[in-house]
Amino acid sequence: MDKTIKGISGFFRWVLFILMTSIVVLVVVQVFLRYVLKSSLMGIEEVLLFPAIWVYFIGAANASMEGSQIKANILDVYIKDEKLFFLERLVMSLLSSGIVLWLTYWGYDYFTYSIHAWKKTASLYVPLFYGESAVFICLVMISVFTLRELYMNYKNLRRAKIAHSDIKEDLR
Amino acid sequence: MISLVLFSLIILIGLLTLGVPLPFCFGGSLFVMAVFGGVTMKGMLMWGFNQLINPVLLCMPLFVLAGNLMANGGIARSLLDFVNVFVGRIKGGLGIVSVITCAVIGAVTGSGFTGVAATGPILIPRMEEEGYPRGYATALCTCSSTLGLLIPPSTLMIIYGWITGTSILACFLATIGPGLLLMLLFIIINFFYVRKNPNIKLDEELQKRSTPKIFVSRFWKAIPALMMPVIILGGIYGGVFTPTEAAAVGVVYSIPIGFWVYKGLTFKDWVDVTVESTTAVGSIMFMIIFCLMLSQTFVFLQIPQAIVKLMFSITDNTHMILIMINVLLFVLGMLVNDVTGVVLAAPMLLPLVIKIGVSPIHFAAIMAVNLGLGGLTPPYASLLYLGMRIGNVEFMEIIKPTLILLLFGFIPVVLITSFFPSVVMFIPSMFGFVH
Repeated sequence: MDKTIKGISGFFRWVLFILMTSIVVLVVVQVFLRYVLKSSLMGIEEVLLFPAIWVYFIGAANASMEGSQIKANILDVYIKDEKLFFLERLVMSLLSSGIVLWLTYWGYDYFTYSIHAWKKTASLYVPLFYGESAVFICLVMISVFTLRELYMNYKNLRRAKIAHSDIKEDLR
Repeated sequence: MISLVLFSLIILIGLLTLGVPLPFCFGGSLFVMAVFGGVTMKGMLMWGFNQLINPVLLCMPLFVLAGNLMANGGIARSLLDFVNVFVGRIKGGLGIVSVITCAVIGAVTGSGFTGVAATGPILIPRMEEEGYPRGYATALCTCSSTLGLLIPPSTLMIIYGWITGTSILACFLATIGPGLLLMLLFIIINFFYVRKNPNIKLDEELQKRSTPKIFVSRFWKAIPALMMPVIILGGIYGGVFTPTEAAAVGVVYSIPIGFWVYKGLTFKDWVDVTVESTTAVGSIMFMIIFCLMLSQTFVFLQIPQAIVKLMFSITDNTHMILIMINVLLFVLGMLVNDVTGVVLAAPMLLPLVIKIGVSPIHFAAIMAVNLGLGGLTPPYASLLYLGMRIGNVEFMEIIKPTLILLLFGFIPVVLITSFFPSVVMFIPSMFGFVH
């Protein structure tokens, strides 16, 4: 499991780096062409749209994998008991999993619609599917990471319960 | 319908409290609206995707990347040393340095989080060495980092401009006045706070060497860092670049500066910073798309119009309505982060503020100061918690100085921003954004 995660993490790392660098290069080339060569690259905004969308969604999937999605974590400040803490974590990841699976279902619906409609960009006629598919693909990845977190939290709660009962035994 | 909206908001707050990631909190509220309110998710996803492909938004990841590259490349130390030349001989000078450095870093990075992350690890230990209590040093750095939301280019203002259709450049200019005022108030508070503290020491190097000599050497080192806002803002307002282009040029500029001038970057750092920035942007965008969808369902249900009616049924006094808006935004800022606050509240409140004669440009500044204040106020004090982690201080150590800074710094700025529009509007009007 750890090896797979490491592999995915390495893959995300290079894809994000390449996509983001390509966005920077494209925008700077546009500036260079306009001011130095006095010409412009037609439809560059449309080309930029695709790496940008993939950066947003792979970035989001990476955040889910790292567990760095934006959270409030208000209760964490107040819960001192370890068992209660892991129980709260389990409930949180259970709710997250339910919601993300529901969103993924709608992501699939959007994915099939996108194949069916096969819309194209206005000037270069690039199929929008190449961008729209990012929504479903990344939601699937986010679902997997959220379910993994649910499993980890379940394991942590069990471990905390065992440790707790061991302490009780020792006290007796 | 109102009861359904309230129910979805209760679900949202419940999920938030349990620590469910923000995008899923909005997903949970959307679930309520879809199941009980008949909202079509397919239509919502199509609409959300179309909002996300707006080219205007592209400047956000680029600004975040440029800022993070500069922040990781060693900019903070050179800026800190440079500002210290002017105030290092004054008691409490390092506190002033902290405020100004955070403002300049904010101008470079466009976010409060990067500000405290870049300056905190350098400034807090140094302030502690010079006799400042650690809790106060952390509070000052953390509160000052909200200047990143106000000093342009601010990512919050990019989002606001995009959502409300207001000129992003005008929004950038609108927050300069409140930003400078907040900076001044923090400096004054710092002066009074440390005045009677006998433990505060002064910069030793400044005591030994003559100031002009140090000024020249430190200014020379700080030039590349100081040039960043000049290139970005000068480029945008000079009509040379669009905000997206300026941000990309900022990225290209910050790479050689980080590698060869400040020597804080390696190839590995460059990759790491890029991945870190794109992950941060990804998590923001992922949250924005669902937050926008929820906000749009409220718009479909004519909630903004209901808010206008409700407010006017309570009072038709403009000042009273502005106070209520401020309280609402402040509470919102306490519950969610700044970007979410803008995405959720701007479409809801804009019809109301226009009705009472407040310009969308003025409202941009009102939102920014209120959400900044909310970000420092528990329970969801995201910036404060980050500051606590960076400064390695307990809640009880940081809360007292934070409350002083909020009470005497932030709250007056919120009130002045709301009730004295000229503080906000004079810079946008200088650039022809106000007719």
